[in-house]
Amino acid sequence: MLRVPIKERLNWQEQAKEYGFNYHTMYGDKYWDESAYYQFSLEQIENGIEAPTEEIHQMCLEVVDKVVRDEQLMRRFCIPEKHWDFVRQSWLNGEPCLYSRLDFCYDGKGDAKLYENNADTPTSVYESGFWQWLWLKDNVDQGVLNPASDQFNSLQEKLVNRFSDLQYLTPGRELHFACCKDTDEDRGTVQYMEDCAKAAGLDTKFVFVEDIGIDAEQRFTNLNDEVITWMFKLYPWEFMFDEEFGDSLGQQNTRWLEPAWKSIISNKALLPMLWKMFPNHPNLLPSFFEDQLSQANFSAGIVKKPIFSREGANISILRGEEKIANTHGPYGEEGYIYQALHELPRYGDNFTLIGSWLVDDQAAGISIREDSSLVTQDMSRYLPHIIL
Amino acid sequence: MKRSKFINLAAMRKLPAARPSFIVKPLVVAVSTAILSACSEPQDDAIVIESVDDCVTKTTLNEQQCVAVYQNAEAEAARTAPKYNSRQDCEEAFGYEGCRASSNGIFTPIMYGYLFGRMMDTNRPSSVYKYNQRGSSYRDSIITADGSVIGKAGQRNYKVSQSAYKPKATVSRTVSRGGFGAKASAKSSWGGSKSSWGG
Repeated sequence: MLRVPIKERLNWQEQAKEYGFNYHTMYGDKYWDESAYYQFSLEQIENGIEAPTEEIHQMCLEVVDKVVRDEQLMRRFCIPEKHWDFVRQSWLNGEPCLYSRLDFCYDGKGDAKLYENNADTPTSVYESGFWQWLWLKDNVDQGVLNPASDQFNSLQEKLVNRFSDLQYLTPGRELHFACCKDTDEDRGTVQYMEDCAKAAGLDTKFVFVEDIGIDAEQRFTNLNDEVITWMFKLYPWEFMFDEEFGDSLGQQNTRWLEPAWKSIISNKALLPMLWKMFPNHPNLLPSFFEDQLSQANFSAGIVKKPIFSREGANISILRGEEKIANTHGPYGEEGYIYQALHELPRYGDNFTLIGSWLVDDQAAGISIREDSSLVTQDMSRYLPHIIL
Repeated sequence: MKRSKFINLAAMRKLPAARPSFIVKPLVVAVSTAILSACSEPQDDAIVIESVDDCVTKTTLNEQQCVAVYQNAEAEAARTAPKYNSRQDCEEAFGYEGCRASSNGIFTPIMYGYLFGRMMDTNRPSSVYKYNQRGSSYRDSIITADGSVIGKAGQRNYKVSQSAYKPKATVSRTVSRGGFGAKASAKSSWGGSKSSWGG
């Protein structure tokens, strides 16, 4: 695994405009960064990332199956009691899922270590499935990169195929896409998912989360008062559970992407649960709930993560007595979990994190994020990669 | 190969705007010309059937069959027609006495008829309405429940694409909006550079 500097494509900003990639630069800082790329061997990809990704996904499904059947665990996972049945039914009914992203610490040598599972609202899917694919194609076409260069990235192809399957499993319904207002990144992500669904032949519509309505029979509606029967929402389940319309969830025959059972594995309580069910698994880091800390031996250091949090917010890292990182954010009211510190590999001044995509249960590609700090956050840069 | 074999780049382009849109939005129902989306989409010659007698005269169905199809069309109309809070709002779009009260104070346009053609599903006929908004260029047009314009009223037949027959979404009356999204807005007021609710 190498970090290789490369010239930026001359016209990429123009091209971004043409393809509607509107958030490559945010708040004046680079988000998409093609001044370098990462290079992997096929062996690193297949054995180091692809295989563990699919294995861990299966382990996560075992966690779901255990948690939904155990009220004490549902409480530990901070699923509000009034929604237990809704979450449980979504699992027992076998509601199909679409995608997830596992975040790994990996340097090309030892075992990849799981940091967390973005199973409910993963973003950077457009940059991964399409934009870095186009970057490779352009650089190969222009003779800059070796024509034998490949990429671990069948994300778009797999998403389109998965949407076809989902249509078959959810017949006669139109798929609504939703995200919050005032975020280019989320709007772009949801537009991309809608494009993939359309490519699969689905009928789609869009509605902002804030514009969703409800009728007298507790059915959700769009701005044209049409009843929403199937919805992809880029909006966390744990938010929806606590909001006004949350009480109506499960009262109507709506299908959701991701399904409600994903609220169990997008939750940081997953990490101590995995460690308990699969102790010493080579791809897991020792993790504990607060009341189990006496069992822990965190000689290398300790990472404290909120049960619910997004994009690296409210994380603190302790090495001995010293706090070496501490990010801010609005999360943490539900409590924390503790994970053994396993520092990200460093390439020059950059700490590098690997996001590994799953479409349903198949590994589908990777995305790479760099940050000058140990904690990867929403403004960390996105870099492309190749296999050679 | 570990990457997508093919991506249709033309389909991924967002500029220039893919197609002109003619959407006007009077009150609730968004009327628009039925967009000929795919050139290859099969076309059909449809007629608008206004009554059971009309069906018996103009089609090969017998009276019993015609009654059944009409009942199905009415059921589809109840499910999919635009819903208004007042008679006045409804009549503005569908004309004087063009609406009726349905349950709990909701007003819906009276079904004008349904589309009859080779590609129809007689179990779920596509109900149609006569649009009557003053000043609209679509006045006197036949529209389906989702606002797609089929053509001016009174034609012998109408060229329609297969999608005109597709079952329409259930339309309801929304009693409240804004019940999702509060958490995001509470958390975004917390800090500066929140760019996403994903992760």
